[in-house]
Amino acid sequence: MRNRSKEISVALVMLLLAVLLVLAFLWALSIGTVKLSFVQIYEGIVNQFTSGMAIETAGQGPVHDIIWLLRLPRLVLAALVGMGLSVCGVIMQAVVKNPLADPYILGISSGASLGATAAILLGIGVALGENFVGIAAFIGAFAMSLGVLFISNLGGRSNSIKLLLGGMALSAVCGAFSSFIVYFANNKEGMQSIAYWMMGSFAGAKWENLMIIGPIVILAVLFLWTQSRMLNLMLLGDESALTLGTDLHIYRQIYLLVSSLIVGFVVYSAGMIGFVGLVVPHVIRMLVGTDHKKLIPVAALTGAIFLVVADGLCRTIIPRTELPIGILISIIGAPCFVYLMIKKTYGFGGN
Amino acid sequence: MEILAEAVKMAFGSKEILKGIDFSLHNKEFVGIIGPNGSGKSTFLKCVYRVQKPTGGKITLNGTPLDELSYRESALQLAVVAQHNVYSFDFSVLEVVLMGRSPHKKMLERDNLNDYRIAREALATVGLADFEERSFATLSGGEQQRVILARALTQQTECLVLDEPTNHLDVKYQLQIMDIVKSLDLTVVAAVHDLNIAAMYCDRLVAIKDGQIVGMGTPRELLTEKFIYDMYEVHCRVDEDTSGRINIVYLPQHWQ
Repeated sequence: MRNRSKEISVALVMLLLAVLLVLAFLWALSIGTVKLSFVQIYEGIVNQFTSGMAIETAGQGPVHDIIWLLRLPRLVLAALVGMGLSVCGVIMQAVVKNPLADPYILGISSGASLGATAAILLGIGVALGENFVGIAAFIGAFAMSLGVLFISNLGGRSNSIKLLLGGMALSAVCGAFSSFIVYFANNKEGMQSIAYWMMGSFAGAKWENLMIIGPIVILAVLFLWTQSRMLNLMLLGDESALTLGTDLHIYRQIYLLVSSLIVGFVVYSAGMIGFVGLVVPHVIRMLVGTDHKKLIPVAALTGAIFLVVADGLCRTIIPRTELPIGILISIIGAPCFVYLMIKKTYGFGGN
Repeated sequence: MEILAEAVKMAFGSKEILKGIDFSLHNKEFVGIIGPNGSGKSTFLKCVYRVQKPTGGKITLNGTPLDELSYRESALQLAVVAQHNVYSFDFSVLEVVLMGRSPHKKMLERDNLNDYRIAREALATVGLADFEERSFATLSGGEQQRVILARALTQQTECLVLDEPTNHLDVKYQLQIMDIVKSLDLTVVAAVHDLNIAAMYCDRLVAIKDGQIVGMGTPRELLTEKFIYDMYEVHCRVDEDTSGRINIVYLPQHWQ
């Protein structure tokens, strides 16, 4: 049967991507100020599992520390962020039925920046510990999504247009408050750290955080994968979905909340990383089609590979300096996006 | 299969679109709803297929009021081919048709071989068996509507609602789609723009104007020159051939 062979080919693609992801990890582990050979990496990883010692235990040698304390946590974070943002991009584009949607579309980015700005310049939430900026950004982002959901449900059921417009309106408000704070704080150093934070970074990755973020992102992605049928129906529109027996209203809210949760955690641990969630879904749609059953897993793996490689490049492209990942991704992402725009055979937005 | 509507009313704010429609559709009947633009025929059908909620009256499906059915339950009894519009996605034809299986599926259930078989049969019925791998967005309007018809057939319902499905289509595709539907021996209710098409395919016609039913009957009984003038303010000549088939010829002003 043809559908059988098709399923096998999707499984093959995923297997191939999984292998590529492992290779990307090995490559990114090996490069940096200190070059490691694959043998060293292999030994360092195997030893950790056989020694039974905690990762943080001192005196396990420099190779162990480079792998387990410096490079691996940030690569794991990069993979999780890439996976989360790509899948959220797919979801947002389906939920608002708009090819320009990305994970931050519903004002999440400006909510997160307002949170971060308030934390950095006004010191709000210092008591929350070391990563209080991340926590404030998480709260800003999540509150923003709830606000947009709430607004879009005022005066009748929400729909994709109301969600987009609500997001734009709240974005403007948040942007104004951020500028207000920046203007009156008059704090040059603080403004610099905001700018740095906005570019995103994986440098702050720690195992204890990954233990929380990892399961949440992976479970959320798996959950969204199980919702492929609903997501397909969303692209047909509410009326068609109704005649096919599904009222999308409640599902739309659930998916928005789940993806806001993912984006919130991404923002918390890595700041703002643009373009991944916009470009990866489009590229994957061009390759495997619009069916979310294939789109979600392939986009998740591709996003992970993309950011792992990007993180490797960031650490090595300029000697002895780390390029903020947001800059690199925009440099790669923007031309990709223009290419997509002019490529006419691809018709998410109708030809 | 039976659909009954009693005193169905629909109002947007103070504007009454439907002023109490009584309607019945019986097993294996092919009923056409005619009426000028803005008469409420499409709104009435939307109430039947639940995209809009009537503000008054009652609609029952095989004796059960629509409000008491889940959307899934009604989608198992009634499939819809709506007006052609622009779609913003890039699904393959087979993927679109398979979505017709949605009401038969549980939350996490996957499409199985049986679903694929039903979808392929439906595509063959509408004459698009070779199109399954094609991208839906690249098809012509007539082909897209036939794919949507195949999707409706994949729902395997006894009743089909056609909401002006052949709008904007060439006469070839209009006849083709109506021919396919007619050959299926289902219970059909269709909003039809073209009176000749209505006369050709429908067992019974219901005429709606200004939200009210203004006439009912077989095409031959209903579509008289006077009635058409009262409905559409258009002069015409209704010809009848020896087998009792009617044909409406519109008479523009410079012919009169």
